[in-house]
Amino acid sequence: MNSFYFAWRSLFRQPVRAALAIAGVAAIGALLFDMLLLSQGMLISFRDLLDDVGFDIRIMATASTPISGPRMADAAATAAAVEALPEIDAVVPMRIGQARIVGPDSVNLTLIGSVTSSRDAWTVVEGVDLDAIVGSDHPPLVINRNVAEELALVPGATVTVRSECSERYSVLPTVDFVVSGIAEFPFDPVDQMTAAVAMPDFDRACGSVMDEADVFLVASRAGEYPEMAVKAITRLRPDLHAYSNAQLVDRFQQVGFSYFRQISTVLATITLFFAFLLISALLTVSVNQRFAEIAALRALGFSRRRIATDLLWESILMVGTGGLLALPLGLALATWLDRILKAMPGLPGDLHFFVLHPAAVATYVALLSTAGVLAAAYPVFLASRLPMASTLRNEVVG
Amino acid sequence: MSATVIETTGLTKTFPMPAGPVTALRDVSFSVAPDEYVAVTGPSGCGKSTLLHLLGSVDTATSGTLLFDGRDISALPDAERSRIRLTQIGFVFQRFYLLPMLTAWENVELPQGEAGASKAERRARTAELLDYVGLSQRARHRPSQLSGGEMQRVAIARAIANRPRLLLADEPTGELDRSTGEQIAELLDRVHADGNAIVVVTHDPAIAARAKRRLEMRDGEIVAEASA
Repeated sequence: MNSFYFAWRSLFRQPVRAALAIAGVAAIGALLFDMLLLSQGMLISFRDLLDDVGFDIRIMATASTPISGPRMADAAATAAAVEALPEIDAVVPMRIGQARIVGPDSVNLTLIGSVTSSRDAWTVVEGVDLDAIVGSDHPPLVINRNVAEELALVPGATVTVRSECSERYSVLPTVDFVVSGIAEFPFDPVDQMTAAVAMPDFDRACGSVMDEADVFLVASRAGEYPEMAVKAITRLRPDLHAYSNAQLVDRFQQVGFSYFRQISTVLATITLFFAFLLISALLTVSVNQRFAEIAALRALGFSRRRIATDLLWESILMVGTGGLLALPLGLALATWLDRILKAMPGLPGDLHFFVLHPAAVATYVALLSTAGVLAAAYPVFLASRLPMASTLRNEVVG
Repeated sequence: MSATVIETTGLTKTFPMPAGPVTALRDVSFSVAPDEYVAVTGPSGCGKSTLLHLLGSVDTATSGTLLFDGRDISALPDAERSRIRLTQIGFVFQRFYLLPMLTAWENVELPQGEAGASKAERRARTAELLDYVGLSQRARHRPSQLSGGEMQRVAIARAIANRPRLLLADEPTGELDRSTGEQIAELLDRVHADGNAIVVVTHDPAIAARAKRRLEMRDGEIVAEASA
């Protein structure tokens, strides 16, 4: 009987105890797995969001986030100069402001002004994009699903918009728009109301031509490294702040994300310690209960190595079975926790806190395996160094 | 091959105790021939089990020498002593120590697998041994489903599974009633008759009477020896 099968039979000699031990490892394993998903999840989700938009560089006037900092002046000329760089494929200046759809049912919304191009920062899911409307009496506008559902709007409907983007006028005149389509905006929070219009129409709604932009969305040319394009932009306009997606993720990691990373690191360490204690305690108790049996096996000629291997397999079986069960359990728990955390206001709807990724699974397997092996060390030492004669003598006397 | 299976000279075992060292075995010298059946008797605490443990190499002497088959095994590394116990010494315990999660068949097969016997060899030998101890019909039963006498018969089958040269039995009838003890004693007689040297430690005069040679111990010393 090889060590693996022997360990299997030893572990499941008391099925209820084995099941409870495995359930304990599964519960702790699920928590550890979730902490690992959390430690990188938001970062991965944020990177995916940035990449999915189709632009790999952002240019802003300052190092702060768009809207919160000053705008870039001479937007059209700057965009043209950047686009002329050999590393750059496309530049889309964007303005972001507040507006209100007025009428019997009105809503406040975020209004985006963008230069229409083949690349947009949104995806039309119903109707058509801004540049597909020709010859209409009113300029086109795309709205997100929340606005469409709130006001029961469909493509072709007309809405009246009052912008709140002017510093000169307290109340701006309204502008009528025709809804060309319904679109998904990747950075929209779950309850966000958003609409987008072409940049000239944004200026018109704001009452003046300002030639400003909050952010330039930039796509580097295929085959170019975004970081090289960022360097070219910085050489051209050292006064502006250009970031590749990777650099933005790095910034996010250092500032906004460090909190989650620290929390998850601390919790993962504590969880791992608990896993170590649990496995070690279970195996030690199991070995203590079998001292006489182990001493008899040694007396029958089983080597220390064989006894140690049996116990190591027992640990691996317990940790392996519990660890495997922990994966679906952890995923279910992560989905539930993700839903709770995503309810925090102001977060993009597509941003996730817990993301399943291969590195997390690999780290989980490595950490749990290490904990299992280390936890087995003490009971293995106890069993393999057991004094045979005195154990057998004490057992009979006892 | 040596003329003796085991030979001890001046074997002494002292246990360190909080109140001072206690000498459990004092200057014991004797030998066991390959065809001998030796009973070691004496009152509780006289050093019988300690002697048996030293003979079986599950413990090491404080001083003196122990030759197994002419070879000093006390100086061997643990792995080599384990191998000798596995292949050349059989152990029968008072409390059987069958593995509760294994069947009678698996308990008998276990040491053979550890010794490296092939599957076919193990199957044939296990069937032979269970038949030998009269438990072929109980092969698939676990220890908890066997009586005390049946468990000890399985333990004897396990002890001789690797065809040891020496069988050591520590109070093999200590947990059994008189009639079952008689059956075990008869089984040990058969094992001896089939060519095994046996050293049995016992309180049971009926068992001791079956041995060809009896060693009487007191206070860690052999005080008398008798041959049948």
